[in-house]
Amino acid sequence: MVIFHLQFLNIFFKYNAELEEVLPLKKFVITISLVMVIGLLLGIFFYNQTPNQALPDIDPQPEEQSIDETPTQPEQIQGIYLNEQIGYSLQNDRLQITFDKGKNWITVPIEKDQLFAGEYNGNKQELIDHSYLLTENRTAFLYAEEPSWDNETIRILYTLDQGKTWMNSVVTEHYMGVRFRKVGFVDDQFGYIIISGGRTMSQEGSNVFLTFDGGQSWQETNNSGVSRLIADGGFVDAKIGFLSFGTINPEAPELYVTQDGGNTWKQATVNIPSEYANIFVQAETPFIEDDHLAVFVNQGPNGDYKGGLVKGKFISTDKGNTWVFSMEVSPDEANK
Amino acid sequence: MKQTSKKMNLIVGWILFILSIGVFFLQIGFLFFHERLQFEYIDNRLFYVFNMIFVICLFIAILLLLNLEKKWKVFGAVVVLIFMIPNITMIFQTNKEIKNIISVSPNFQHVLSLKENTKTGETYYYRSYFGILGRPKEKLPFQTNDRFKVDWLTDDIAAVTYKAKDKTVHQYIGTYGDRGTGISYYYVAAQIYGVWEGENARITNETEGLSVTVNGKTEIYKWDQVVQFGTLAIVLMKNNEAVWTIALNKDFNVEAAEKGETPGTILLYKATMGKTEPILLKRISSSM
Repeated sequence: MVIFHLQFLNIFFKYNAELEEVLPLKKFVITISLVMVIGLLLGIFFYNQTPNQALPDIDPQPEEQSIDETPTQPEQIQGIYLNEQIGYSLQNDRLQITFDKGKNWITVPIEKDQLFAGEYNGNKQELIDHSYLLTENRTAFLYAEEPSWDNETIRILYTLDQGKTWMNSVVTEHYMGVRFRKVGFVDDQFGYIIISGGRTMSQEGSNVFLTFDGGQSWQETNNSGVSRLIADGGFVDAKIGFLSFGTINPEAPELYVTQDGGNTWKQATVNIPSEYANIFVQAETPFIEDDHLAVFVNQGPNGDYKGGLVKGKFISTDKGNTWVFSMEVSPDEANK
Repeated sequence: MKQTSKKMNLIVGWILFILSIGVFFLQIGFLFFHERLQFEYIDNRLFYVFNMIFVICLFIAILLLLNLEKKWKVFGAVVVLIFMIPNITMIFQTNKEIKNIISVSPNFQHVLSLKENTKTGETYYYRSYFGILGRPKEKLPFQTNDRFKVDWLTDDIAAVTYKAKDKTVHQYIGTYGDRGTGISYYYVAAQIYGVWEGENARITNETEGLSVTVNGKTEIYKWDQVVQFGTLAIVLMKNNEAVWTIALNKDFNVEAAEKGETPGTILLYKATMGKTEPILLKRISSSM
């Protein structure tokens, strides 16, 4: 075998030693070389023409404009879209909204920093979840004016005609370090705002405000008296509303319910089957489903059951007082 | 003698020729498939470096294999030059636009790759594949300011310390391993229960959070100020800035920790742009 190889190599090199005289092989080397050089030159040319040899688009959010950058040309606005038509942008430190897929942008008369006032450490390239409504018929932004951290005025800026006219109303004054913020409307007239603030360690105050005139005036409801950190909340109609507590390592859902428009609050009983104890721990906002109420209870920030995103669906037939387990739902179903 | 040298020339010539074909197909494969498969060279400059390796190998191979006349040698050299100039230019140009930060682990097993868009301050962390390719994994949460410091705390934990545009200091931890079975996720903070002590440093895992004492100064980091990276490290935050990284050292064993046995050691590493060494801590008590 070895002898065979050696013989083969000898023949190979003998043949090669005369490469310059062996025209086909010489042609082969030159042709291949030329093809490769031309191919790669073309490759380099096209590679440099490709715009996305830059950085990927994992997170297509508009970036804040840095101070030393002065745009010399009108900039393309990169919107964050909530559906095919409606979106917003915080580009250039301005809040702008569009109702026609970015053809026209309407500047919202508000300072960007006011949207993130209070206790908020997240990124400021997207609006805080739940702190705004952006629909064809109603657009609203919760914000805070803060002469100082412990003296904030919580306001809501809203429009009912897609930004032609804006209205502004005070929700509450002398508020301290707003953390959680949520605004929602059940119908044209009735809406709610849930805020929390004054957090010390894992305790804070939470407050609920209701409007019965489409957002012009807001009245605070009675306080739930719970000082845990609020996770979510909302109303299903003008009477029945919910507050869900526990954001850091919750062990069981702590859901409070009112059935008289916020006059009284009591803790709802969520019957967690033993096999789901310590798994489904954080209630989301209940909603009306057929003739009963339903709520998804998620796994909190640390859940790892079936990947951590599966939720438990619970049903209540007594206006939210007691909840019984219905089924597990995948994140896709829960988001429908 | 002359015959041997000629043979050697031919061997080297053919090796270089085959090498250049290999590099050519690597480059063409990259050009055709990188968008579809969403990968890039781990350092953008590699594309141009490979082009230069290709042309140099090919040129030397041709010189060794073919007995060219002088005018063809000069022509070849000019082609090489024409080929090299734009590539060298692009190496510098591309790094001006996209700054590549590359660091190889001490055991040469892993490559940390970051790419920063110098205009926008966006920086992406890349997972490396086959040592030279990478896929973007995530965007660093803060706009960066062109200054990065990379330290490998162990062979599989790279700590990237950087200053954001608002001058705050942050840390991103690239993790390339596991201290458990490798099939399940676990919480680092939960694994380091008890009291840990090292040189002028002490960490106590309390109900509220982690208490860190260094040189007699104690700070408590609540659980919502603890950010986990992979299954190997956590970063402790205060006032929206990274303060410390706690990493599971190479000898840490999660299974031992779960059984209540001595799990190994941990490392405490300060988030600072200056030079700093990780502090080694051993568990002195399994209760608070």
